[in-house]
Amino acid sequence: MSVNPSDVRNLFESHYFLFAFLSSLGTLQIAVTGSGIRALWLTPYRRVTRWLGFVCIITGVLFFFGQPLFVDGPWAAGSVQADSTTRAWGVASWDELAGARNVNDIHGGLDGVDQAIWFSLAAIIAFSVSVVFGALSIKANTRDLRVDAKLDDDDIDGLAGLVHRSYFSNLPISVRNFRLEARKFWRDGVRSADRWSLIKIISGSSSQ
Amino acid sequence: MNSIDASLMIWLNGLSGHIKILDDLMRLIASDYLMPLVFSLSMFWLWFSGKTPSQRMTYQLTALTGISALAISNVVVWIINSLWNRPRPFLDHPDELNLLFYSPTDPSFPANPIAIGFAVAMAAWTVNRKFGLWLAMTASLYGFSRVYVGVFYPTDIVGGALVGMAVYGFTSYLRRALEPLITMVVRFARGVSVA
Repeated sequence: MSVNPSDVRNLFESHYFLFAFLSSLGTLQIAVTGSGIRALWLTPYRRVTRWLGFVCIITGVLFFFGQPLFVDGPWAAGSVQADSTTRAWGVASWDELAGARNVNDIHGGLDGVDQAIWFSLAAIIAFSVSVVFGALSIKANTRDLRVDAKLDDDDIDGLAGLVHRSYFSNLPISVRNFRLEARKFWRDGVRSADRWSLIKIISGSSSQ
Repeated sequence: MNSIDASLMIWLNGLSGHIKILDDLMRLIASDYLMPLVFSLSMFWLWFSGKTPSQRMTYQLTALTGISALAISNVVVWIINSLWNRPRPFLDHPDELNLLFYSPTDPSFPANPIAIGFAVAMAAWTVNRKFGLWLAMTASLYGFSRVYVGVFYPTDIVGGALVGMAVYGFTSYLRRALEPLITMVVRFARGVSVA
């Protein structure tokens, strides 16, 4: 049976995206529970959120590598080492499952650039989902956060600000601080950069 | 040197075909999707895992450098590939190998996936020795699996690791040469609450 590589690629793209999304979401949850960035937690509880992170990663892996058992694709009998022109379309058996995803990019698998694009998109969406759920979990935690004096401290912005307030409350403060400090930050950066920094040389401050 | 390399490759690949679960595990680890995602996720984790502002800044600059090194490694491997087209082991020794993977069509030296693994491991190692070592071991296992399934020689793996480490070193200097631009990128990301 002849298989069109673009059909294979379409199948891989959607599967890989979900794999990357679940893994990114899980990794993000594990990272932010460790660093205490509450506005990105999926639930108001640290331990539950952390476990949810592990579950997301494991689900992503099982989903991606287990899917050939249930979904038709280029992984039917004898397909692992075959070219796309001789590849059979169908579901994989348990015996072939481990190698079912091993499809060359010229036969419809994803090359490095495709993977980088889909991973970036998945990571951005994982962050966005965390922002929305985090805003809800911050709201659920409002009683605890009201006693936190740092909630009113406008010097705390960026991810540090997300420890105390939701992304939506934190964003205007972060943008304002950036606009106020950007020029000074740049000047200080040029001053403290290495003597051989290209930016320093171009701006003419390497000899100062 | 070539014959030692080929003998070692044939011996390691000869371990396959005896224990099915080991063959399956190696096929899974050698996949184009699992380990590269682990390397990308490790940089993603690094970005968000800093606990203090200064640690966060260090981790984020390192993550940016690591991601850049990963991309530059691909370019360096591509340049080396265009200078030296080393045939894959299953082409040189078709009767002696048990191929458990598809037949890649690009040159064998250096191993591209190992180069990106070691570039990322080096980045992690500069800020967290244990994490960096863990990633280096993961990249090594990835390399071993690729030899086991019959698509790389051991020297391709060593070459890939050296390329990855060298590119990370170069990228670190490049970052310093571009300062304060790179730190400004992180500061901008803080301005939109993602750093």
